[in-house]
Amino acid sequence: MDKFLQLFVSGVALGGIYALIALGFVVIYKATGTFNFAQGGFVLLGTYLTYQLAVEWEVNFYLSTLIAVLAMAGVAMLIERTVLRRMMDQPAFTIILVTVGILLFLQQLVPIIWDEPGLRFANPWLGEVVDIGGVSISHANIWTVVYAGVVFGAFALFFKFTRTGIGMQAAALDQEAAAAQGISVARSFQVSWAIAGAVGVLAGVMLTARGGDALTPAIGFVALRALPAMILGGLDSPGGAVVGGVIIGVAEVLTAGYLEYEWLGANFSSVVPYLVLIFVLLFRPSGLFGTKEVERV
Amino acid sequence: MSAVLEVDGISLSFGGLRVLNEVSFALEPASLLAIIGPNGAGKTSVFNCINGVYRPFEGSIHLDGEEITGARPASIAERGLARTFQNLALFVNLDVVDNLMLGRHHLMKTGYWAGALWVGRAKREEHVHRARCHELIDLLELGDHVGRPVGLLPYGVQKRIEFGRAVAMEPKVLLLDEPVAGMNVEETEVMAGDITSVREELGMAMIMVEHDMQLVMGLAEQIVCLSFGEVIATGDPATVAADPEVIAAYLGTPEDAV
Amino acid sequence: MTDDLRLLRSAGARIGAALAVAAVVVTPLLISSDFWMSVFIAAGVFALGGLGLNLLTGYTGQASLGQAAFVLIGAYTAAWFGADKGWPMLLWMAAAMLAAGLVGAAIGPFALRFKGNYLVVVSIALVFVTVHVLQNWDSFSGGFNGKSVGGISLSFLVDFGDLSIFGKQFTPEQGLFYLTWIVVGLATLAVANIIRTRPGRALQAIRDRDVAAEVIGIRVARNKVIVFALSGAMAGLAGGLDAARVGFLTPGVAESQLLLSIRYVAVIVVGGVGTVVGAIVGALFLGPLPELVEEFSDKINFTVPLVDQPLLKDSATSEGIMSNAVFSEILFSILLVVFLMFQPRGLVGLWHRMVASLKRRGTPTDDAGPDIEPVATPH
Repeated sequence: MDKFLQLFVSGVALGGIYALIALGFVVIYKATGTFNFAQGGFVLLGTYLTYQLAVEWEVNFYLSTLIAVLAMAGVAMLIERTVLRRMMDQPAFTIILVTVGILLFLQQLVPIIWDEPGLRFANPWLGEVVDIGGVSISHANIWTVVYAGVVFGAFALFFKFTRTGIGMQAAALDQEAAAAQGISVARSFQVSWAIAGAVGVLAGVMLTARGGDALTPAIGFVALRALPAMILGGLDSPGGAVVGGVIIGVAEVLTAGYLEYEWLGANFSSVVPYLVLIFVLLFRPSGLFGTKEVERV
Repeated sequence: MSAVLEVDGISLSFGGLRVLNEVSFALEPASLLAIIGPNGAGKTSVFNCINGVYRPFEGSIHLDGEEITGARPASIAERGLARTFQNLALFVNLDVVDNLMLGRHHLMKTGYWAGALWVGRAKREEHVHRARCHELIDLLELGDHVGRPVGLLPYGVQKRIEFGRAVAMEPKVLLLDEPVAGMNVEETEVMAGDITSVREELGMAMIMVEHDMQLVMGLAEQIVCLSFGEVIATGDPATVAADPEVIAAYLGTPEDAV
Repeated sequence: MTDDLRLLRSAGARIGAALAVAAVVVTPLLISSDFWMSVFIAAGVFALGGLGLNLLTGYTGQASLGQAAFVLIGAYTAAWFGADKGWPMLLWMAAAMLAAGLVGAAIGPFALRFKGNYLVVVSIALVFVTVHVLQNWDSFSGGFNGKSVGGISLSFLVDFGDLSIFGKQFTPEQGLFYLTWIVVGLATLAVANIIRTRPGRALQAIRDRDVAAEVIGIRVARNKVIVFALSGAMAGLAGGLDAARVGFLTPGVAESQLLLSIRYVAVIVVGGVGTVVGAIVGALFLGPLPELVEEFSDKINFTVPLVDQPLLKDSATSEGIMSNAVFSEILFSILLVVFLMFQPRGLVGLWHRMVASLKRRGTPTDDAGPDIEPVATPH
């Protein structure tokens, strides 16, 4: 039972990270209606940036994270402005493929700038463990959950109470109507990309600083595991991203902890997110919380 | 009494909101019936029920004596129903000929194997149907636009191509959803001419939803007037136009009128 | 008036086709180097897989990052039946196509329910699952250790592995070159024919406006399943031929296979999305790029000013800005983005546009010819 609880908490923490990455996917999908594969690149580049500041230049960890968040928000906005803005009237598959190209580009930048196969990047709380009713839970996991909670809370407040947030919701519902109300759709796109860049950094830092994993360029693809979380929760539902993320995270950690059948193969847990995704999609095509796509003719 | 399309008491609702309430009418062979009514009366919903995009929760629809209620759009199309859309729904990267050929999709048989091998039948079929499309292009005077993606053509021309695609399907019944919406007087006349010549040449029955009353009066043999999802009048144009309920629905009751 | 339904309508197209055939016939006669033969075979493999992807993405509008999975499935199936079981060539080819095609069709239930967007993610899932299975199903794939494809039969009517025509003896690589490009030629013909007939038109209708397609009687779901199967089958055959080329298969890791999928996407984008010969053009330019960079890194390399370092890393001293692999990938990414932004119909589209503008200049009163700019599809 203790083992289960321990794994469960660890799974929730991983799920929180997936939810953060998924939030980046969701916010852009909601605003622009497309998958942004470059999200994996934001996660990757943002984490390396934080590493550079915190470890190489020995800046305070939290300050490093903040600087990287701002920088990646800027990078994301720049990409939106220079590439995606020009492609707004292109077919959906073209836009998706462009974001794939950007992901590949960002991913190759990393080995050029950080010329080492794996780097050590640990967060300040690593190694500390707290004992709650016989279950030992690492500080890192607690912090991760708290972090994710704070980010999601801030995100919800932003959408409910700020002018920009409300405008973005309107633009997501009906671009033309929103434009008629004086809401700038272009601005809403920009802000959504900035948010995606920012949460990408937070997620990446949590992901690699969990301990165990070295910081490698592969985390750009690890971020893709948040796609199942996003789809599971419903493409356009930030709340769904949380639930989807937690389901995927818990499923992944529990399989890693319990399922040790040889025929499942080594590292089976890494494909679990995708298997959960396929299974759920067969029965609920719009995810758990997504709006059903209704096409008007 | 052998109506080619019979709509019998269909009702449709969305989340408790009743959009159509026991709508009935019958379309005689080779005739043109117009559905009129104020915005939101449910005209397009009637079309969506007939061609299978929506499924009415009660009532039935018969096409040429065969029940089609609740069947899938593709299968209803195969049984002889075509439609155009209020907002254009053309295949924008293809040219006129290909768009019309797509209208004839269900009349053709070539599958992937035969197509890939370009065997005798596939080739023959392609030639026969292309010839047919060119006759139609001549009839509708669309010849100037062959070879260009239709998405690049003017709006009025696109509307006519969409009409042509529906006609190319050789349906028993053709549904026209606001065929002249957004057109200027000249374009409207061309479209009216197209509809007339298709009826003369091919004699297919049509149902038209349209706000342009002049066009409706000029073309329709029968009019059904809908208001808030209910049929409030049916009959020949003169009768319906004189119906006090229709006038009220259109102009509002005297105290609403400005 | 009936349209000219010939595949090669203009004189230019006929000359082009004749030159292409001539190039395939002549190349092995002029080049005997195993390296160059392998490069051209790899290009053929990319052309074949790209043709399939173009059918799916370019003509049906379904983005996919799953092509590498189909290539892998085809390669291992070919190795299992062709090398382990010793089946004749046509049979292992059929098995590779069938296996990959069936997996493609198994994506079907998703195709029935989702728009293109979801399918991209499902296709990524397919890559991860396929790689995982191949890494672990030792008895079939040899697991992480890999699997030899030695002794696979390349013979039908003639033995391409030991080809000799009019007394001229060809190397096995030259034989495989002929085999690969014959297959590419037949596949191109098949795709071109599908595109100009009823099924191909239906696919393009689905791409442009799927609801309207359904309403005029096109079974959208059914056609999507078929095109996934076809696209998978072509990639599967490509994988089989590639297995024969490399001689030894390893599953690699999912991430590198995703890069391969992206390379397939880059091939059709640079060649020309939604054009029949686009995949071939793209494959010739991009398919074997990493191998070429590896071989010619000394020639490509130069000292980058400002940072004063060589562009490509020296494997011995590890002095330099980027490795050969990174260099190729970054080229792919830049080409992918730039072409999608500025030339979405790829090199083929560029060529058509040049021809059209030349014609216009020649005969000012003549019509402008077909407009090759793609029209944006409302979504």
